Amino acid sequence: MADLVSHPDEVKVVSRRFGLGAANLDRYLELDGYKAVQKALAMQSADIIEEVKKSNLRGRGGAGFPTGLKWSFVPKESAKPKYVLCNGDESEPGTCKDRLIFEHDPHAVIEGAVIAGLAVGARKAYIYVRGEYRYLSLIMQKAIADAYGRGFLGKNIFGSGIDFDVFWHGGAGAYEVGEESALMESLEGKRGIPRIRPPFPAVVGLWGGPTVINNVETLASVPHIMLGGGEWFANLGTPRNGGTRLFCLSGHMNRCGVYELPLGYNLKKMIYEVGGGITGGRSLKAVVPGGSSTPLFRADEIDVAMDFDSVAKAGSMLGSGGVTAIDDQTCMVKFALRIIKFYQHESCGWCIPCREGTDWIKKSLTRFHAGGGLRKDIDDVKYLAQNMLGRTFCPLGDAAAMPIISIVDKFRDEFEAHLEGRPCPHAKEGDAANALLPMLAH
Amino acid sequence: MGTRGFGFGMADANITVDGKKITAPAGSLLIDACKNAGIEIPSFCYYPNLSLQGACRMCVVRVDAPKMPKLQTACTTTISDGMVVTTDSEEVKQSRKAVVEILLGNHPLDCPVCDAGGQCELQDMTFTYGASESRYVEPKNHKQEQQWSPVVFFDSPRCILCYRCVRVCNEAMDVAALGVENRGVSSLIVPNGGDHLDCEECGMCIDICPVGALTSGSYRYKTRPWEMNHVSTICTHCGDGCKTTLGVRSSEAGMEILRGDNRDKSGINDDFLCIKGRYAFDFANREDRLRQPLVRKNGVLTAVTWEEAVTAVGDKFAEVKQSGGVFGVIGSPRSTNEEAYLLQKFARSTLGTNNIDHQRTADFPAFVSALAGKPEMAGSMRDAYMVPAILLLGGDATDEHPLLAYQVRNNVRLHSAKLYVVNSQEIKLKRQAAEFAQIPAGTESGVAAFLAGDDSAVAAIATAITSADAWRALRETLRSAQNLLIAFSSDLQGDGIANIAKFAGSVSGAKVICLADYANSRGVADMGLYPDLLPGYASAAKAGLDLAGMSAAAQQGKLGALLVVGANPVYDLGFAADSLNNTFVVVQDMFLTETAAIADVVLPSASAYETSGTFTNTSGDLQLVKKAGDLHGTKPDFEIIVRIASAMGVDVSTLVPLGAGTTADMGQSRGAQSGEADRSAVYLQKQGLEARVSPFDAAALFDEIQRLVPGYDVSRMNLMAGNDVRTTTAGKAAALPASRGESLRPAHDTLFSSGSLGRYSRVLNSVAENRDSKLVEVAAD
Amino acid sequence: MSVVKDIAAVAKGMGITFGEMFQPTIVENYPDGPGPLKGAKFQERFRGAHVLQRDENGLEKCVACFLCAAACPCNCIYIEADENTEQNRVSGAERYAKVYNIDYNRCIFCGYCVEACPTDAITHGHGFELASFNATNLIYRKEQLLAIKPAQLGEGVTFNKAEMDRQGSTAG
Repeated sequence: MADLVSHPDEVKVVSRRFGLGAANLDRYLELDGYKAVQKALAMQSADIIEEVKKSNLRGRGGAGFPTGLKWSFVPKESAKPKYVLCNGDESEPGTCKDRLIFEHDPHAVIEGAVIAGLAVGARKAYIYVRGEYRYLSLIMQKAIADAYGRGFLGKNIFGSGIDFDVFWHGGAGAYEVGEESALMESLEGKRGIPRIRPPFPAVVGLWGGPTVINNVETLASVPHIMLGGGEWFANLGTPRNGGTRLFCLSGHMNRCGVYELPLGYNLKKMIYEVGGGITGGRSLKAVVPGGSSTPLFRADEIDVAMDFDSVAKAGSMLGSGGVTAIDDQTCMVKFALRIIKFYQHESCGWCIPCREGTDWIKKSLTRFHAGGGLRKDIDDVKYLAQNMLGRTFCPLGDAAAMPIISIVDKFRDEFEAHLEGRPCPHAKEGDAANALLPMLAH
Repeated sequence: MGTRGFGFGMADANITVDGKKITAPAGSLLIDACKNAGIEIPSFCYYPNLSLQGACRMCVVRVDAPKMPKLQTACTTTISDGMVVTTDSEEVKQSRKAVVEILLGNHPLDCPVCDAGGQCELQDMTFTYGASESRYVEPKNHKQEQQWSPVVFFDSPRCILCYRCVRVCNEAMDVAALGVENRGVSSLIVPNGGDHLDCEECGMCIDICPVGALTSGSYRYKTRPWEMNHVSTICTHCGDGCKTTLGVRSSEAGMEILRGDNRDKSGINDDFLCIKGRYAFDFANREDRLRQPLVRKNGVLTAVTWEEAVTAVGDKFAEVKQSGGVFGVIGSPRSTNEEAYLLQKFARSTLGTNNIDHQRTADFPAFVSALAGKPEMAGSMRDAYMVPAILLLGGDATDEHPLLAYQVRNNVRLHSAKLYVVNSQEIKLKRQAAEFAQIPAGTESGVAAFLAGDDSAVAAIATAITSADAWRALRETLRSAQNLLIAFSSDLQGDGIANIAKFAGSVSGAKVICLADYANSRGVADMGLYPDLLPGYASAAKAGLDLAGMSAAAQQGKLGALLVVGANPVYDLGFAADSLNNTFVVVQDMFLTETAAIADVVLPSASAYETSGTFTNTSGDLQLVKKAGDLHGTKPDFEIIVRIASAMGVDVSTLVPLGAGTTADMGQSRGAQSGEADRSAVYLQKQGLEARVSPFDAAALFDEIQRLVPGYDVSRMNLMAGNDVRTTTAGKAAALPASRGESLRPAHDTLFSSGSLGRYSRVLNSVAENRDSKLVEVAAD
Repeated sequence: MSVVKDIAAVAKGMGITFGEMFQPTIVENYPDGPGPLKGAKFQERFRGAHVLQRDENGLEKCVACFLCAAACPCNCIYIEADENTEQNRVSGAERYAKVYNIDYNRCIFCGYCVEACPTDAITHGHGFELASFNATNLIYRKEQLLAIKPAQLGEGVTFNKAEMDRQGSTAG
């Protein structure tokens, strides 16, 4: 279980109940639990959507799509049942926020899912928990069972005459399943491979029914919006970027951890004040601003407001909120190799550019880092990544390509330093991992 | 083809592709719309009529209006009015080049050895878009080749994971023998049975593979596509009449067939072939094919020249005829129409007997009689794919009529047709059925009677699964169906067929198919291989002996001579071997069958792949049979019959109308491989250097068939061009004697048997053995 | 003067003649020269009778891809392919040429087959005495075209079971 951290700049909304034992239903009720859903039950579904729209809540999974808008795409009338699907397949390297929500505030997720269901007219919700989060699954399952026990779920919830079911579903360990349509395939018991879109899940989703898919953090924000009002939530952030966000600070920082900061918080401040600066007094080399799939910032580029639009303007993505700081002792070639190894391993194999491209880049970088690199390899790696970008079936190809392109562009000198059989400039004496690298290619 | 599923009732959309205006149904796929307009968009994973993938990323195009941020895959983009698309810009070409280059990173470059070399889609794409040099220097991922069944091999490194095989197996064949294992670059196509295939061995996966990953056990590493002659002909096995293109190479024996497929999707079967069509041509290449005539001398069959053998037969036949002896003639439902027609003409005019019969597997006389005056009620094999409702009565189409089953299955899948299955067994097509009615075994005629309105018949056909009430409801459903197609098995004959025709007559637009077992069962029936019926089912003045009659006559020692053409009466038509001791038996066959072994003269005949003519399939579709090549020492049955007649002193022009009608034989008699006219023959005729046709030219006799057999006045041009043409049932058989009984001997072939011919196919035998051993293994567990 | 001029001209001409008389001969003394080539000499690039090469293990390089036959402008190459098996391994790849005939009645020694060969199996050797009184002798079979097995592998080395069995049976 993760230790909790905190900082005075934090604005605790989603993390309000962290560390207060809210996984216990009674404790949760003491902390305003299940009030939001009762409020929502008294509202018209259109009003709920309106309230969420007003809050400027944007999807916390990575793409940042406005949540209210997403809900409004679900058709009012549907021959097939509608579903709410909570995407808890949090697998992005550098991101560890959903696990805290599952651990400390599982009922908020249930509550958010029920409110989303009320808003779109669904009567069933699935909470899909990442396969590796086994201990969190137990917490989540217990929370659902407790809620059923009190009549908060099941038949006639809160005496409203509405039946609502929430189910837990565990993943089998695939990053790809974090993609919403692959998530649905996985939930239906098939291989976790993305679907062709259109049709979008809001129209044809789980088992052919209209489906709303939201991130855990998004759904956990919803009860607070219901209670505090959309306007209050919107004002916490910057224009068009409502609310706060759980930022996962990792890497070479003194105080790593998950902090809830308002959207638009300055990245430099985040690293040096909230994160407590770089470990060992070393200097910063690069920052991954939103999980491993986002283009990197060099140390001189980090004066950026951390909201969806500003980060995009600066050439990267806010992504899933995983901020990773990299110090000057790190070999960027090795960093790129580590990233591509992940994506090569997680590629579902469906489309050619991603399946073969990630493998090719991995093999090339493995050889390159081990000292067998040629000057043309630098451009070849970039060429490959560029030909994956925007050409793949699902965003996994983009996720693999974007950091590689930015590393090659921004740290080309480090690649060149590996040329002509020179050892890695950052290799330490007896660096076992370094020596092993060429053998990692299987 | 691909747009068929979408095209119904859709408004047209006008789109612009590369500056060219195209009109296509709104909602159809961009890739199809472009293809129909002559703009080729490359793809690996897209395959018409299979589910969409969007996985290969080769078909990317730029959609300018409505503006799309990324390149779009043409195979998943549906068109809408006003769409503007660019398919040939540098950006698009570069993207395709990159896909090929990335793919080749792990693809072995063993094109010189690979079976697909020369017909490989990856090779074609590489030539069109690919980079000539590889940037890839890393070692390629390798895996050992696997054998999944006697006929299917898988070389995984060559696989580009287009999933066509998986989809064709799941969707088009409904077999689901293939799946995908692992993920990412380790993804593998694997048989769901672990290390082997549990399937129908249809080979569709091999056929559909764009590269050389799946290879065929019978073809692999034997030759290269451009080294073979490609002859498009009709499969000789079941009665469905699939078109197949044979890959043929010359060999010491004359020719060897290496491959059968229908890759060009011509014919009624699209690209479908079952195991028999795809592999079971191998009987033609067997070493124990007879290639020399045999005459019994001192009790031993001795190889002689053709001259001697034919003279021996001619002399003996003339002698028997002179002495007023009794002749018997047994034809084969695998003969071509021309051979069958010639055989009955020879029997009736030269031998002067009506004692002629064949292995009957369906009651066509009753069928034609029931449809007399209503030829539009005869259904075709194409109908099975297009009609909105189908009733299958009896039989297991998946085993006995693989093409019909394929058509029906895909009609249900792609056109949402309603299938009604009435059967005593839970056949595989039940899975596609909207309704399944189970009947007690052998009560198919009761169903026909009930459908025709006899309510009292319901008691016999009601079961625990389908109650009497359910039957009445089903009858109402069927009556209200539009354009219902009824296909019934040989379980129905005589009155049963009359009843089903009566019922069909009460359903608007209904059609009927009568299912028979062999390649030309329908044709030989039409050609009058009956003791009591002439060509076109006209009654003979005096009925001759049927099979049972001939057998009895032989038993009594009264049969003077028996001519057996392609049949094996001792094995499967109820003739006792020793009953023929006093009969002069002449057998024309490919193998030394049980009957040939006791014959007095054995004449080695050509297979259907070594002869030319026409076949009429079980639903009355007439198709051209083309000669793939000669096997040295054999002669087509047609030629043998003409030679026997000649040896008997008959003027052969009375049998084959020489010099009439045909101006060019389209190359058939010369073994030319394409459908083009035999230019040499045309030239020789023009110069007066050659008779217009030879007496061995089946096409000459086809003129007579077209003139004299009702229903065969089809478009000759259409037929010669390789299309299937409809014969009609406009026969005179309305006046069949009411008491006429029909004794059927249905073969009940499975996918892995094919009458006595199947016994000579190594592939069928090895696959059947392999399956049996698997079953034993399972039983032992 | 003209006489002197004439004599000088003749003398100059004869001078060259006599001078050349003592130069070594450059006409090949074929077929009366020494050695197996009987005095014939070749440029490396000379395109003579074909040789089907073997790899370093003595296996045939030809994989029966038919590209030589396809490239041949006079259709003189005839191949029948077959699959290598465990028992009978002839070439390094899956396929080998069961039959490989070149019809020297038709071959024009253009070298296209050598160009086309993806495995460098077919090459032009320096064989040139091909003339025959019988045209059928000019159809060379694979056995006549194959290079000898690499010397370093030793005498009688075998690579496939069928061949071993054959040798075993002749020995026994």
